[in-house]
Amino acid sequence: MTTLNITINGRGYGPTEVRDDLTMNDFLREYLGLTGTKFGCGAAQCLSCAVIVDNPDGTSYTSPTCIVAAANFNGKTIRTVEGHANNGRLSALQKAFIDHFAFQCGYCTAGFLNEGQVLLERLAKQRVARADLEKIIAEALDGHLCRCTGYIKYHEAVRDVILADPARYLG
Amino acid sequence: MRFDTRVKLLTAGLILLLSQFAAIAASDDPSRSLASPESFAAIGDTTARSAALFTEAGKVLSDARCVNCHPAGDRPRQGEGELSRLHQPPVVRGEDGFGAPAMRCPICHQQTNFDPGRVPGDPAWHLAPRAMAWEGKTLAQICAQIKDPERNGGRSLEEIVHHVGTDHLVGWAWSPGYGRQPAPGTQQEAGELLAAWVKTGAVCPN
Repeated sequence: MTTLNITINGRGYGPTEVRDDLTMNDFLREYLGLTGTKFGCGAAQCLSCAVIVDNPDGTSYTSPTCIVAAANFNGKTIRTVEGHANNGRLSALQKAFIDHFAFQCGYCTAGFLNEGQVLLERLAKQRVARADLEKIIAEALDGHLCRCTGYIKYHEAVRDVILADPARYLG
Repeated sequence: MRFDTRVKLLTAGLILLLSQFAAIAASDDPSRSLASPESFAAIGDTTARSAALFTEAGKVLSDARCVNCHPAGDRPRQGEGELSRLHQPPVVRGEDGFGAPAMRCPICHQQTNFDPGRVPGDPAWHLAPRAMAWEGKTLAQICAQIKDPERNGGRSLEEIVHHVGTDHLVGWAWSPGYGRQPAPGTQQEAGELLAAWVKTGAVCPN
């Protein structure tokens, strides 16, 4: 058993005793009822289970939750899909996903949203050339699987958020 | 006790007994154990003895637990023997052997094995540098690479022995977690074989 303390979407959870073999995905979905994070392949291949992990230095990355123990997130700060909207106000990326009709069944969407958000925050700290943008978006979203959409509208949604604020994201 | 219940109990007991015999047989498999350095004393010629010691240690170096992360290319492998395959998800080496910027090895491979996810783990999980690729190499080639400071991380032979015999990530090979066969012998035995190999002149097999 591990005593788990974790910050999720700005709120502290714990101390909670969790089994060492409990996956983070199960902790989110079954213990906390945060079912926005999905379970897809159970092998970190589809990344529908990915959440954002915020480092103390201000950088962030996405992590699968299906094959990572909840205990490994002890002391960490994470964001799930439930944490993107602010008092019901959708984020720019969420609005872009809707405007572009980027999702269909929605099962992969949480993963794409988290990954896209991490990319936006990274570019806000280190802008990139316009000529490199499509390649950078493709690299960032690479690995997230979608069976419905063909991916294009996800990429366009992320791209258009960036192009709508070039001073912030592009160098 | 009813007859059919007795049959079920007897059957279960028989299966348990047979599985124990199978386990014993597997542990006696010479390919999964390492001979002691002393057992090579009968080889009078020091050069031949040294090469034979390395060949025995080579059972570890050529085992899937090691070769999977000493790949020739930029992707690790999984599995063993004929079932060995490129790592899925399709991760890559990255610039430092710890993965691509957005998919670092430690994101999935945590401090220890996570058996519910069938994911191996170690605090230092990463690929060996390209210069230390063992995939597709003969033992002679691996031996030459291990002895070459240009290709072994600048290590002396004594440091190589220490690395194989005590390094934590190397040690993972003997506790690889669910569904993976440990490397032959033990880490200590592997280190002792290499120590004896160095002591006899560190001769590479042909």
